[in-house]
Amino acid sequence: MNNRMIRYILCQVMRIEGVLMLLPCLISIIYGDGEGMYYGIVAGVLIISGFIGCHFVPKDQSINVKEGYTVTGLSWIVMSLFGCLPFWLSGEIPSFTNAFYETVSGFTTTGASILSDVEGLTHTALFWRSFTHWIGGMGVLVFLLALIPMSGGSNINLMKAESPGPSVGKLVPKIRKTALILYVIYMILTLLETVFLLFGGLNLFDSLCLAFGTAGTGGFAIRNDSFMSYGLYIRWVAAIFMFLFGLNFNAYYMMLMRQFKKALLMEEVRIYFLIVTISTLIIFAKILPMYETAFTAMTDSFFQVMTVTSTTGFGSADFDLWPTTAKVILCFLMFMGACAGSTGGGVKVSRLIILWKSFVREIQALIHPKIVKKVKMDGKPLELDVVRSTTVFLATYMIIFLASLLVVSLDNYDLTTSFTAVLANLNNIGPGLSLVGPTCNYGFLSGLSKWVLTFDMLAGRLELYPILVLLAPSLYKK
Amino acid sequence: MPVFKTRPAGLKIIIVGAGKVGTTLVEQLSHEGHDITIVDKVASKVNDIATTYDVMGCVGNGATYLTLVEAGVKDADLIIAVTESDELNLLCCTIAKQFSNCSAISRLRNPDYSKEANYLRETLGLSMLINPDHEAAKVMSRVLYIPTALEVRSFAHGQALITKIKIPEGNIIDKMTIAELGSKITNNILICGVERDGSVFIPGGSFELAAGDIITVVATSKEQNNFLKSIGFAMNTIKDAMIIGGGRSSYYLADILIKKGISVKIIEKDLRRCEHLNELLPKATIINGDGTNTELLLEEGIKNADAFIPLTGIDEQNVMLSLHAKKISDTKRITKINRTGFIDIVNSLDLGSVFYPMFITADMILAYVRAKTAAPGSNIETVYHLFDSRAEAITFKVTDDSKITGKPLKELKIKKNTLISYIGHNGEAIIPTGNDVISKGDTVMVVTMQTGFDDIGDILE
Repeated sequence: MNNRMIRYILCQVMRIEGVLMLLPCLISIIYGDGEGMYYGIVAGVLIISGFIGCHFVPKDQSINVKEGYTVTGLSWIVMSLFGCLPFWLSGEIPSFTNAFYETVSGFTTTGASILSDVEGLTHTALFWRSFTHWIGGMGVLVFLLALIPMSGGSNINLMKAESPGPSVGKLVPKIRKTALILYVIYMILTLLETVFLLFGGLNLFDSLCLAFGTAGTGGFAIRNDSFMSYGLYIRWVAAIFMFLFGLNFNAYYMMLMRQFKKALLMEEVRIYFLIVTISTLIIFAKILPMYETAFTAMTDSFFQVMTVTSTTGFGSADFDLWPTTAKVILCFLMFMGACAGSTGGGVKVSRLIILWKSFVREIQALIHPKIVKKVKMDGKPLELDVVRSTTVFLATYMIIFLASLLVVSLDNYDLTTSFTAVLANLNNIGPGLSLVGPTCNYGFLSGLSKWVLTFDMLAGRLELYPILVLLAPSLYKK
Repeated sequence: MPVFKTRPAGLKIIIVGAGKVGTTLVEQLSHEGHDITIVDKVASKVNDIATTYDVMGCVGNGATYLTLVEAGVKDADLIIAVTESDELNLLCCTIAKQFSNCSAISRLRNPDYSKEANYLRETLGLSMLINPDHEAAKVMSRVLYIPTALEVRSFAHGQALITKIKIPEGNIIDKMTIAELGSKITNNILICGVERDGSVFIPGGSFELAAGDIITVVATSKEQNNFLKSIGFAMNTIKDAMIIGGGRSSYYLADILIKKGISVKIIEKDLRRCEHLNELLPKATIINGDGTNTELLLEEGIKNADAFIPLTGIDEQNVMLSLHAKKISDTKRITKINRTGFIDIVNSLDLGSVFYPMFITADMILAYVRAKTAAPGSNIETVYHLFDSRAEAITFKVTDDSKITGKPLKELKIKKNTLISYIGHNGEAIIPTGNDVISKGDTVMVVTMQTGFDDIGDILE
């Protein structure tokens, strides 16, 4: 275990978080709410300790798979711990459990809140809440890889541990350039959305916060009713950008390389598009009687399908009141989540495609026991390893899901509440149904439930293993 | 932490074949900051490399259009084909050249083709054809002319030599400083590197040599011989050589040695290979037998052979044979090692001259790549790795005036652990001192422990 390198990367992460935390200080100065002091203190601590820790560059910079997973898991925990301090110190969220929950929910781009009155927060706190979505969306280690030159090529393991998807690859030979390209695409899309929202009459602060929330597929809004009081234009802009951020970023790179056909023919992109369209149409048909005009029904059904599929979790309507079919479809979409290589959470479309194809293969193998048939993706045969790890992923995922459900059920709320609470946290969505529906929040749950859900959010965002590996006793043996 | 210079614009290089040479190239070239894509048919090999080094992997047959396009051949600068098969390498380069402007380097090992290497290179428009066995044979043959040396490399078109020797106990240069050596023995050589207890130094004037040091000397071949004689090294060249194993490198080495009038004996297990070798090398004595059989070795006169060269395909056998020969005779031994993973162990054994064919191949390709990245004003001619790639000896051709020309060397601020060790000026070899000057048109050799120099200007602070 390369402990020095782990220390070094953790300190780099702290340093970056410290610098990013200076932004809310700026907001505080602009709005004069005096909250910036707390952010300034934490930022100072982070930057100073980060600088000291980074001063000693380890000789051996190799990051093997286990180091990659460990450092990713630890980074996210450290980041959330420091990130929640300003909320807690300033007293805006008095309970530490709640402050930590809220911050993890931010970084993991879940968007589940314990706050009943979001509008009561200062601008500084609102900004930091939304900004954590943006940091967590593409990932802080990917940011680190883009910024800091590291020798050795094994740091691909960092990216593999942090980026979602069954098989993480590079866009270009150099990892630093790959990370840079991803962040540039991310920034351009965020900027575009901000501009579109500004056109819709929102002020710059609101536009930025909502754009951060969408870009990271997070879901923290700045109004108590989330999106319900915004006009149709704003809803469409947000919905379309949620769709865009849920796409595999490889597709954007291909488009930048002018390979439009290849990008649009990506199997995952096509299936994602298909599922979104079909779900929207079914829900539209189901909720049409509840609306006065077909267009608003269309807007809300598309918005809700996108917000759940991309695992953002904004609410443009109280879908808890919708017909059961619509709610069940939304629950399915919560499980599925967005594309691999996007900023969204969930099981990922590509995993479901692989699972479906392995299922078909198994059935055919029952009929023709000697059949030779490989699971293929985009016309290329997949390594057996990828197929195996996908099925194991789903099994692990179900175990965590059921175990969390059991613990949350101790609070003795109804099944829908407990079930969708775990579902919405593990998949980084935010709102669930019933008591945790889009108009409610998670503040009423017990401390134990909150900690379990915090664990679920982290496990869900990092795709289980970086967090699970921290629990393995053999990791700490010499 | 070693300082790796990251060039803003590294070359886009595609390497086809993830074997030993392919991996060595990936390691060295990715350290030098190039954008590398490795292509191989076996997914697990590609995955291993792509997670160990900062390169992109691509699984598929490197000689097919689709795979090459996926690897990005259309805007690649260079393709290097080093798969197992010569034919595949050539096909791969040929296809790549059809729809890309890239340069192409191919490995070509079969003696049938290597006779036509120049013809192939020109007709197919390749930049370089590399025959690792032949190159290794050339390097090995050079050390047989000066058998007391551990390694001999030539540069500046053969005008000068880099020679590696080990200082024996009680030698006159034992406990002598570099400055004393210059005043007492000769001023016409330069010691550009010393390996002691596993560490490498680029010595200054006050550095004291000691018995057991392995030193690297730069000199013209005439001065080289004078120096070696004056410090008491025997200079008799060898008359006969015994080679174990009849593979490709044995063939090339025997061919070179026979042409130089050295009698060669090859021991090979496979009868059909023996017959084939007999056709190819009518003057060599071919013995059909197991070269690891010590009785047979005695019978064939290992004790009286001037040189003993185990060239079997198995490293362990080569090492054992070399140690065995050391035990029973004082013949000159050359040991070929294919795998680079156990360098530290190999170094701790007394194996005579040790050669890694892999490094020889990688050096040549590296020199080509560096020359391609070099800024106008200087051109790299050769790159040699010294002391298992802990130091590099680079020969530059200075084609234009720059910061380093026209000034006495002592006025130049040269980087740490870097030494200008040779200047070739109008056909005259100069072992430089502080008062010498580099001018346009010179050939300059620099020995450095830094990596990634591709321009003579890089030696300055």
